[in-house]
Amino acid sequence: MAELKDIQNEVIRQEIGEFIEREDERQKIVGLYANTSSAMHDIAANIILGEHLKVDELTRQAIEGGSDALEVMDDGLIAGMAIVGIKFRENFIFVPEVLACARAMKAGMKHIDPILSASGIEPVGKVIMGTVKGDLHDIGKNLCVMMLRGAGFEVLDLGVDTSPDDFIEAVEEHSANLVGMSALLTTTMPNMGKTIEAFIDADLRDDIKIMVGGAPVTREFADDMGADAYGANAVECVDIAKQLSGAAK
Amino acid sequence: MIQQIPEPMTSRQRVLAALSRQPVDRTPICNPTSVATVELMDLVDAPFPESNRNAEKMARLAATSYTELGFDTIMPVFTIIQESSALGCKMQWEGKDNWPTVKMNEPIWAEPEDISIPSDFLTHPDTQCVLDAIGILKKEFGDEVAIIGKTMGPWSLGYHCFGVEKFLLMSLDDPDKTRRCLEKMKQATIEFGRAQIEAGADAITLPDHATGDLVSGEYYDRFLKEMHTQFVEDIPIPIILHICGRTVDRMDYIAQTGMAAFHYDSRNKPVESMETVTQRISLVGNINNPETLYAKGPEEVAAEVFENLDAGVQLVGPECAIPLQTPIENLKVIPEAVRRWHANRSEN
Repeated sequence: MAELKDIQNEVIRQEIGEFIEREDERQKIVGLYANTSSAMHDIAANIILGEHLKVDELTRQAIEGGSDALEVMDDGLIAGMAIVGIKFRENFIFVPEVLACARAMKAGMKHIDPILSASGIEPVGKVIMGTVKGDLHDIGKNLCVMMLRGAGFEVLDLGVDTSPDDFIEAVEEHSANLVGMSALLTTTMPNMGKTIEAFIDADLRDDIKIMVGGAPVTREFADDMGADAYGANAVECVDIAKQLSGAAK
Repeated sequence: MIQQIPEPMTSRQRVLAALSRQPVDRTPICNPTSVATVELMDLVDAPFPESNRNAEKMARLAATSYTELGFDTIMPVFTIIQESSALGCKMQWEGKDNWPTVKMNEPIWAEPEDISIPSDFLTHPDTQCVLDAIGILKKEFGDEVAIIGKTMGPWSLGYHCFGVEKFLLMSLDDPDKTRRCLEKMKQATIEFGRAQIEAGADAITLPDHATGDLVSGEYYDRFLKEMHTQFVEDIPIPIILHICGRTVDRMDYIAQTGMAAFHYDSRNKPVESMETVTQRISLVGNINNPETLYAKGPEEVAAEVFENLDAGVQLVGPECAIPLQTPIENLKVIPEAVRRWHANRSEN
């Protein structure tokens, strides 16, 4: 079994030692870094530090040096975001820091996306994402979209202030079977329930899985509304999307 | 625990006493954000969005807090966008069943140098109607009910005027620049606050969304504590700070500001919150909106009222602006439960 001391990159080692407290998660994360190269560790470390200019440069160098785009994405960018997600969930960092990490990931993904798009790899699943009607907040939703795309999902982002009709239209038009809804305000949270009711009225509820999230949303509220799943953050969103779409490994 | 006095007080006296942690005849019921609902709009023919832009309708809808629900406060500023509209933000006024919002993805400022408080800031229709509504309410209810105004803090204005994502990234990339922005934007907070005092407000809510969902408690200390402390002098009236979300990690800082009260969210337990602020600031809250007031029944609402009263919370009410579809019956339970709790206490 891989051990923390085996990881050569000092930033990664310190981050895991200091912030990953659950033993099962620590083993999983250590395993993630156990057999990957120092170049990928450097990318991951700079993702964690939110250094977008360095991630931009390191990712470009890796791709130009012949590294596989999927390897750079999984072992560098996403491996870094895995630690970021846990730190955010445990309140070691907050939204400004996560935004900086997301900016860094975006800087790396701009080198990866064109290669993946041209490769014709089948997406893991298709997801319709949007912030509900009356709510113009999209930071959390955007993080989820970025992480889902990074995990291989095709995501149609409907943006903010999305009406139930817009969700339904998108599901029908794109034959998607997974919907993600976000709300930041307690005043707009009920619009998640209204959207679920609209899917029932449109006779589409049984054809789709619905996941919900957002700062004030709780698992209890999600259950009461009749959602299929609740995710507390972007990392959980990806795990749930994989489970709901049958892509969980 | 609450010091109770036997003489009956007016709602206004009760609220003002509770805001300064003085004895009261019973705990006041207060929502310093908004109790507007679709049912109440229909009842007095003052629907959104007009009741956010027309002083007479704004006053009429706000008054239902006292006349229909039995609360001890009247708060005419239902939204958090009045001054942002006056500052030039692009607005989405929505309809009767949705809140008006600022189009934060179309920011109006990017640099501190861009910030300018328009000369017509206080005479813009969307700020003027607040001042006029407070005047109407003061005339009609001023002797008996506490009229609460609302002025947005500079952190919240930053979200509206710079965009949430850009403002938060700026706070990390360039803290000094962020402070310069806050310094300039606070002028709007102070001007609008003072104008509402002149119009007749008894106290003022100051929402400044350095929420636990977005930033750390340390952020509050770094960027806002000193400024909020200064607001106590700049806006000379009891100030009720409102910040959503989990905030126990910053309540000690908040209690140091000298503000009168903190309107707190249901994600903070009443007992742990009271223990944190240790009588340095009154607490207002914290009945859960989306799960309890909106979706549950009288028993669950009363249970949360009792939990606050047992903890010694000084003013009881919803945790934030309530969802517009919240049933009136659930809101009416709040004053009933407060009276029941005090009656039981007297008997014992």
